[in-house]
Amino acid sequence: MARRLVDLTTLLVVIFLMGPLVVIIAGSFTETPYVAFPPEGFTLKWYQALFQRQDFLESFIDSLLLAGLSTVVATVLGTLAALSIARKGEAGREFLRGFFMLPLILPTIVTGVALFQFMRTSEIGMALLPGNWAGLLLGHTLITIPYVVRTVGASLVSLDPSLAEAAEGLGARPSRVLFGVIMPAIMPAVMVSLIFCFILSFDQVTISIFLSGPDVTTLPIRIYNYIEFAIDPMIAAVSALLILFAYVLVLGLERTVGLNNAFGK
Amino acid sequence: MSEAPSIALNRSAPPARDAAAIASRKGRRRDRMRRLGQMAPVLLLYLVGIVLPYVALARMSFNLYDPMFIFREMWSLQNYADIFAEPYYLTVILRTIALGVSVTFFTVLLGYPLAWKIARSGPMMRSILLSIALSPLLINLVVRTYAWLVMLGEQGVLNQGFSLLGLGPYSLIGGWFAVVVGMVHMTLPFMVLSLTSVMQSLPDHLLEASENLGATSLRTFTHVIWPLTLPGVGAGAILVFSFTISAFVTPALLGGGTVATVSTLIYEQFTYALNWPFGAAMVFVLLAMNMIMLALHALLFRTGDS
Repeated sequence: MARRLVDLTTLLVVIFLMGPLVVIIAGSFTETPYVAFPPEGFTLKWYQALFQRQDFLESFIDSLLLAGLSTVVATVLGTLAALSIARKGEAGREFLRGFFMLPLILPTIVTGVALFQFMRTSEIGMALLPGNWAGLLLGHTLITIPYVVRTVGASLVSLDPSLAEAAEGLGARPSRVLFGVIMPAIMPAVMVSLIFCFILSFDQVTISIFLSGPDVTTLPIRIYNYIEFAIDPMIAAVSALLILFAYVLVLGLERTVGLNNAFGK
Repeated sequence: MSEAPSIALNRSAPPARDAAAIASRKGRRRDRMRRLGQMAPVLLLYLVGIVLPYVALARMSFNLYDPMFIFREMWSLQNYADIFAEPYYLTVILRTIALGVSVTFFTVLLGYPLAWKIARSGPMMRSILLSIALSPLLINLVVRTYAWLVMLGEQGVLNQGFSLLGLGPYSLIGGWFAVVVGMVHMTLPFMVLSLTSVMQSLPDHLLEASENLGATSLRTFTHVIWPLTLPGVGAGAILVFSFTISAFVTPALLGGGTVATVSTLIYEQFTYALNWPFGAAMVFVLLAMNMIMLALHALLFRTGDS
């Protein structure tokens, strides 16, 4: 009886979680001017309409560029930061770890507002962040770094310290220890960080909404601006493509390192 | 980097001790410099991207609005006084808390059975259910909100279903119901994740013991399972609550302008109303709400923290 209740609720929750996604994907093929489910007829006209929109194409390229750039910067800097606090028993290690997590702990909307205002009113801000691109790159890098520090940091903790010590004892220089011993061992974690940061940055809305501007509008913000006024099936088409894109990325993650490594310990 | 070589030297050649100590001290200093070099770029980035902007925002909250220049520089507590004197803003704060509490309640209600199923299933079923529970996280926030606009709209899927029954159409968008449904969909994965991790470490023999001693399923739940999974509920609740009170895309789009929260108010102050000093003060109200929540959580789950 209790088990059946649990089963029934689980089924309903699964429908609740997946339903909207299924409706969007199926609805992108409908012939009606609104998203119908089940879709009426079958047409690719909404995809055609989408591909003729220059602004959506530009936003897609902007989002790809931004996600690619911020992913590389965040992964390199985050991995360095994780290395710097890897050694146990160093003073201030816990404090630094907490400090590196700040962008994750602070509400994203507040960081977005803070950067938005800093770029416009502070002289330092205006000098360092002279445009939307600089602001977006900084914002996206900031919010992805904590994930890199955490993922790479966890993999460094499970790394046997005697490996590096053995290399040193045998006379390897620090750079050789880093690239010959430590980097290969933490490579899976770095790969996970790369893909994870890319997904996070590509999907980022809250920071981007404050920092997008006439010269660069990311794809999620383009969609946001559009659906404030209309919710026709063209947006279902772009949504379906984005869902497909996300699953392809995760499949890539699964192929390269395995999902259990990515989301496990 | 390590003490091992110097110890070996100490043993074999006592006169080399001083030299080794100096070398090791030098090495340690070099090590510290290297570590500082490794973290310097991130520290610099956080200085420019977090510390300075937050300080500037705090400073802004003491300025006053000026219709000409957006703000006038001064040191005033007027913005904070306004927030607590105006019934409208108090209503918004209370509404934000109520939204956070309702969304948290429904994520526990819906997430608990699913998490239980995930934690107690075989490996195959577990990975299928887990990927279903997590897949909304992969989908863009705006896309998910759009999905609910489609589901709940006048020509939406729910109303298409109602019309088959000869009911409706109901206007479901633009109110509390739509915002709660949307926010529960956004935050449910967080709750399921933190519940699952606690449930998986629940030892089977406790449940068996409870059953063997003649307890009904309900009694086993209220006296064994629920108390032991409470830390997971707490951890999930704090994630869901903070996420909900800080969200503004979903309340703005699904609320249709009728569900004003602290976050949507901040967004409006900075993008449309252009009253930056007041918006900045609201930001610190939002941060305080988050802090209070964290403190409350620490107080309630002091012992069961994991």
